[in-house]
Amino acid sequence: MAVKFAGGWTRRKQLMAGLGIGFIAVAVAAGQPAYRSARAAAPNEAAPAQDIDIMTEVFRNGEGGFVVTEIAYALGRDAKDSASCPNGMTGGVRALIEAYAKTAPGQRRPEEDDRLYERRLTAAVNTAPNGQNICMHPEAAAPDPNWRMVAGATTVADGIDLDGQDTARGRKPAGGTCGHDDFRGMHGERGVDNQWYRVIGCTTGFQSTGLANSFQTEMYTGSWGILVTLRGVDDLRNDPDVAVGIHASADPIQLSSARAALPYATYAVDRDKRYRANTRGRIANGVLTIVPVDVRFHNYVNSMHDDRILRDARLRLTFTRDGGMEGYLSGYSPIEAMYDLHFGARHSTNAKGELAPERLRLLTSIGRAGALGHTCNGAYHAMLEAADGHPDPATGRCTSISTQFRIRLAPAFVVDAATQSVNAPLTLR
Amino acid sequence: MFMKSIKTSLTRKLAAGFCMVIAGGIGWAQLSTAPAAAPAAEPNLPGTPPTMRRLTELQYRAIIADVFAPDVPIAGRFERARREEGLVAIGTAQGGMSPFSLEQYDASARSIAAAVTGEKRRAQFVPCQPKSDAAFDKGCATRFVELYGLKLFRRPLSAAERTRYVQIARSAQQRLGGFHQGLEYALAGMLVSPEFLLRIENTEHDPRAPGGLRLDAWSKAARLSFFLTNSTPDAELLRAASAGELHTDAGLARQVDRLIASPQLEAAVRAFFWDMLHFDGFGDLFKDPAIYPAYTTDVARDAQEQTLRTIVTHLITDRGDYRDLFTTNKTWLSRPLGIVYRMPVATRNGWEQGEFPASAQRSGILTDISLLALYSHPGRSSPTLRGKALRETFLCEKVPDPPANVSFSIVQDAVNRPGSTARLRLAEHNENPVCAGCHKLTDPLGLTLENFDGTGGFRARENGAELDLSGKLQGTDFTGPQGLGKTLRDNPGVPLCLVQKLYSSASGRPLATKEEPYVEYLLNGFAASGYRLPDLMRAIALSKTFYAVSEPPKPASPPRVAASNKGDRS
Repeated sequence: MAVKFAGGWTRRKQLMAGLGIGFIAVAVAAGQPAYRSARAAAPNEAAPAQDIDIMTEVFRNGEGGFVVTEIAYALGRDAKDSASCPNGMTGGVRALIEAYAKTAPGQRRPEEDDRLYERRLTAAVNTAPNGQNICMHPEAAAPDPNWRMVAGATTVADGIDLDGQDTARGRKPAGGTCGHDDFRGMHGERGVDNQWYRVIGCTTGFQSTGLANSFQTEMYTGSWGILVTLRGVDDLRNDPDVAVGIHASADPIQLSSARAALPYATYAVDRDKRYRANTRGRIANGVLTIVPVDVRFHNYVNSMHDDRILRDARLRLTFTRDGGMEGYLSGYSPIEAMYDLHFGARHSTNAKGELAPERLRLLTSIGRAGALGHTCNGAYHAMLEAADGHPDPATGRCTSISTQFRIRLAPAFVVDAATQSVNAPLTLR
Repeated sequence: MFMKSIKTSLTRKLAAGFCMVIAGGIGWAQLSTAPAAAPAAEPNLPGTPPTMRRLTELQYRAIIADVFAPDVPIAGRFERARREEGLVAIGTAQGGMSPFSLEQYDASARSIAAAVTGEKRRAQFVPCQPKSDAAFDKGCATRFVELYGLKLFRRPLSAAERTRYVQIARSAQQRLGGFHQGLEYALAGMLVSPEFLLRIENTEHDPRAPGGLRLDAWSKAARLSFFLTNSTPDAELLRAASAGELHTDAGLARQVDRLIASPQLEAAVRAFFWDMLHFDGFGDLFKDPAIYPAYTTDVARDAQEQTLRTIVTHLITDRGDYRDLFTTNKTWLSRPLGIVYRMPVATRNGWEQGEFPASAQRSGILTDISLLALYSHPGRSSPTLRGKALRETFLCEKVPDPPANVSFSIVQDAVNRPGSTARLRLAEHNENPVCAGCHKLTDPLGLTLENFDGTGGFRARENGAELDLSGKLQGTDFTGPQGLGKTLRDNPGVPLCLVQKLYSSASGRPLATKEEPYVEYLLNGFAASGYRLPDLMRAIALSKTFYAVSEPPKPASPPRVAASNKGDRS
């Protein structure tokens, strides 16, 4: 039986979770990009952008879909280009090893060659006083004395105001948050909440030449994707009420032969409801914002899966001339999940959803620390110190950390359908 | 060398008709603007000489799949098919076979024979077991050779052939030590034989027409089978041939009706339209990825499949009117195609059927990516290539190639100039009267498709300029792709062209002028059936003209040795 795709295709109406839009070609960041793009060359550069009638070509019956084509943490400028790290860079595992090597137990033993000696030093600095591995049990170790936080009262960071006020230590924090210093935005705006940048802004792995902010690469291999849908859009400039969906994609991103993300591809939303978020939004003067909603996406590294979670997530997006959107995806990352995602791999799972092999998780976390210039215990305690969201009712200590992403999106067809796929394991997650 | 196709004086008259088209007149193909009153019976025409045609790649693969199994490996590559008079099917009766091609046939034969007689699958394919491993089992070898000789040569082996291949099996076993290795070499020998690679038709005296000739039953079965299944005769058809049933009207009708109703008809229809639409051109098709990033190898593959699926669904499954292929909104989509069409496709890694909305401005297969991309340049659309293709493919008109010294600078230099459209560029180009003659034929059709870019993606403007999609065909004005589709749908030359091409494809030679009454007979039947393709194919398959043969021509002079083996490349 043929499906009639009338007037748009009727199936679309059933399948598409919609999106809302506002027109506007506001250049978000004049001058130097506010965020450190994970890709030096934007994937879409190959195809020259063409001005299109967004309401006609992207939206049909008030519904539109988008796929994230670029995503990276919105941070500040590199430490070497700013005064954000006045106390220098985080020492990382290498600094601990060098310090330990100067102690009596850290001296090379006669029977040790270079490899054995390095292995013993690495093991020593990654072991807590109680004998546990500090990446698997960061709470067992003391804070890393060599960890450096971004500092400075007027330090600039990319992002948006999440808590509705320009917070500073010593002043009463907004409800549901903990005391922290807000940043100034790239254009002088006040109140930017970006404590994740404060934690990792002085580590080498998160500088613009570092590897830690290049997780987008996995998206381009097809491991995961993010979809946004708008529905009930009547006016791209001002619409007080639109339905907004933020979902994990069940399909790999569609690329050209030059590996540029293609617009107008079809993507199915993840079948697992935990990876679907729906909320309301509004378009004011061409800027889409939403009622905060918890979102959850996939993340894959070293064949291991972790959830990327953002609580009370916000979108602040504007429309681009080629029918896409750009702006911010922001919210609060739970400390424990964020630690597993970037540092510890304590609960990473394999393709079947089972806990990944311990050795793989252990080596991955230790390897990350060595390659990216941090220590597991340092990162964990720094995040606890900087946490500014979702206070624990019992302790009053915050459990999440404000996190900002710069994202770009291309128009896409978003469907909700169970279909056959060679990538079935991807969809079953 | 293959036997050259017969170029009759009547054919030359047909060519003269094409020249009239070139001159802006109306060719022979256009004379029959409306079917006359249907002839009561098929005209009685003299036959044409029997043909010898090379198997196409599709036919070769289909035969191996049918005779053995679809997963039997074919290791060789296939030479690019020769296209004559717009059809590979005609080219198969002309031209030679290169050393490269023979090498590849040999590689394929060896891979097939090794798989068929190999230890893993010999129980499936070898009909008997040797009495012992050491001694040659002539009876079993003979059985094997006779079984596959019949299926591959499409006739029983002669005694000499049977003896030859059995002897090959014996010799190979003596040298290689194994009975099945002997069979392997015998089978490989059959697979590189001209009797397999070429469809060689044989004649016999016709007892119903003293002094006349007819195709023998095996050749008749092969002609019928390749026409209706694009493969070798199946067991039932071989049985009917053996029993002489194909020489009776009732027996032939039984087989025709069986094959028309079989799933294999789809393969024949696909092969014909793949040929008619020049889909072999996709092998050379390139699109600039900087301009058309969505055009990928997946799109190129699926674009052909989309059109063929649409054709098969419309013409066979739905028994639709052939002319509606130019206007239907029904289509098939895959995800790679959905990116270019800007349509959602929920099905992953598969196909789904749907309809384009009217707003998409699509019109049947005319606006499929396959045709729009195939007849465009790597970085831009081409109203000229599209118009030429429409006239040659669907109206059987011949549009000449451009003169060798023509300047394309005006057309090419302004491609990206703001406000520039193909219509404006071609208007400048056509100020040269040498160019204008042909462009008057092609451009009025092709310009109506200018709202589709070089890969078939929709565009409302070109270089920011509004598009003028007006066009004209034989005095009929229309606008845009949907206007073009309707105009072609209503043009009587379109079904006439299909009849001509289908019959030429089936017979493997260009249409002769003397066959005009026969074509009119088929056309009238086609119209009476509501332009249903299976009915047209049935009419051809049951007609006497389809099988009629005459004496082969006597060569005027000894064949020339064209090639030099001296390696002189100067």
